[in-house]
Amino acid sequence: MPHHTKPARRSARGRWWPFVVPTLVLTVAFFLLPFLLNVYFAFTQWTGFSSRISVNGVDNFVNLVDSGVLPVAIRVTVTYAVVAMLMQNVISIGLALLMQRSNRGNSFFRALYFLPVLISPLAAGYIWSAILEPRGPLNQAIGLVVPGFDHAWLGDGTSALVAVAFIDVWKWSGIVTLVYIAGLNAIPRSLVEAATIDGANAWRAFWSVTFPLLAPSFTFSVVVSFLGALNAFDIVQATTRGGPGDTTSVLNIAMYRQYNGGFFGMASSISLTVTILVVVLGVPLIAFLRRREVEA
Amino acid sequence: MTTHGTTARRRRPATPRSELLRVVVLGVIALPWVLIPMWLLLVNSVKPYGEASQLDLALPREWRWDNFAVVFEEGDYPTALLNSLAIAVPTLASVLLFGSMAAWAFARSRRVSMKVAYNVCVLSVLLPPAVLPTIYELQTLGIDGTRLGYFLVMVGTRLGVVVFLATGFVRAMSVEIEEAAAIDGASKPQIFRLLIVPSLLPVLLVGGVILIITIWNEFLFALFLLRGEESATLPLGLFRFASASSEVVAFRWDLVFAHVVLTSLPLVIVYLFVQRRLVQGLSEGAIKG
Repeated sequence: MPHHTKPARRSARGRWWPFVVPTLVLTVAFFLLPFLLNVYFAFTQWTGFSSRISVNGVDNFVNLVDSGVLPVAIRVTVTYAVVAMLMQNVISIGLALLMQRSNRGNSFFRALYFLPVLISPLAAGYIWSAILEPRGPLNQAIGLVVPGFDHAWLGDGTSALVAVAFIDVWKWSGIVTLVYIAGLNAIPRSLVEAATIDGANAWRAFWSVTFPLLAPSFTFSVVVSFLGALNAFDIVQATTRGGPGDTTSVLNIAMYRQYNGGFFGMASSISLTVTILVVVLGVPLIAFLRRREVEA
Repeated sequence: MTTHGTTARRRRPATPRSELLRVVVLGVIALPWVLIPMWLLLVNSVKPYGEASQLDLALPREWRWDNFAVVFEEGDYPTALLNSLAIAVPTLASVLLFGSMAAWAFARSRRVSMKVAYNVCVLSVLLPPAVLPTIYELQTLGIDGTRLGYFLVMVGTRLGVVVFLATGFVRAMSVEIEEAAAIDGASKPQIFRLLIVPSLLPVLLVGGVILIITIWNEFLFALFLLRGEESATLPLGLFRFASASSEVVAFRWDLVFAHVVLTSLPLVIVYLFVQRRLVQGLSEGAIKG
């Protein structure tokens, strides 16, 4: 092909920038600018009671730490994110293995298990608060075996945090499962079969062949589910609103409480903390999982 | 069938018994995972208040279709539905159009300024958007609390996803057809419309459905940015309705469930149409390109 002999690439008349301008303007104006402003507002006294915004250094953070709000919210958020991420990936890999093969029956089940993805997190929260009510369907079912069982799943700090994380997992599992199915189907079948022929049982074959080769899907799903859970808000607001006490008060709930109280600067400080957590925990997590991919 | 051991094993289909076991396991898990929650929701949305408060799975003794009428009137459902449509549809259209235009440029141009712009866009995929300064900025622009402001924020915070997905996709495409078209005198807008958009359709379809699900269900920014009654979207309408009902008496499960049914309905209807291609696209790896 003659045009390949020329070093300069040929491209159509006209410039590239008109194609980029709408995206760049909107992203800079409504994502980047607020994001940068937040770094500033986090160190200001900004309230709903006065129109003046004044820099007050690290006062907001000192206040939030002294009152215990921030340490609790960070602990709750990280616990929530770890629990949600673990449950999400174990459950979704399991479902993906069951529905891996493409056939008519599995198309039906894939579509069925996808349904919770459509429901708004808020609605998912309401549905599961009904199921988890002390006299709700779950305890009615347990009551068949253990008469009189009436544990308040959302009324006890420990079970509430796990329950809310579970609702998050339930809501998103349909999509994560499909990502894993894509990963499973990208693995050359001959490799798994070679292991089986060499005498490995299904369990061994999964851990020594399938799971390592699932690394790209694993990286993607672990990162997305973990970072997503650090931003949790809707489901918590629909179920426990941060309670009982502050046992499920994730950072965004704490942020909303400050905002409702008129403490906009404090709310910005908590919001900045979410960003810092995403960077401080997310970047090493991505780096670690990527390295693991290369080794696999 | 060949008698050669290895080949026979490699070609061996799943035995009917293990296949049956798999289907049974999937069915048994689907019961508490999907079917019972959906049943609980549907059946209790048509029960009277007292019956629904028992939160059981029995059919209604008295069918109360009126619940939906109550949601329509007291829950202001038609307004919220129109608001959701008026925000979600233009958001999706703008994000897909602008995002794929930019993605093409990012994938093909080698200028440093383009690389910087690309990284700014992709940053928005990973980092959470900041809601309070957004309020401040919209106040400064005089569009705080309006649907226009919320729409602009939705677009600005979601373009990154499309740019990220589509740029990877375009990079994997051969550039030669575009070069040939350019030599034949095609302009950039022509090439974009006739070559790039058709090739991007699979990724735009799957990306578009994921986006419409998250935009339609978006709650955090709606809660902060849309404070007026008349501008509420469906999730916000549901939240206010549920919160109001719990303040007056005990939680009105009947009405909240009826609202959840009506709020989820539009997406479920869309899903019925695109279900096959969406699930197939995702399970073939459309998200990761």
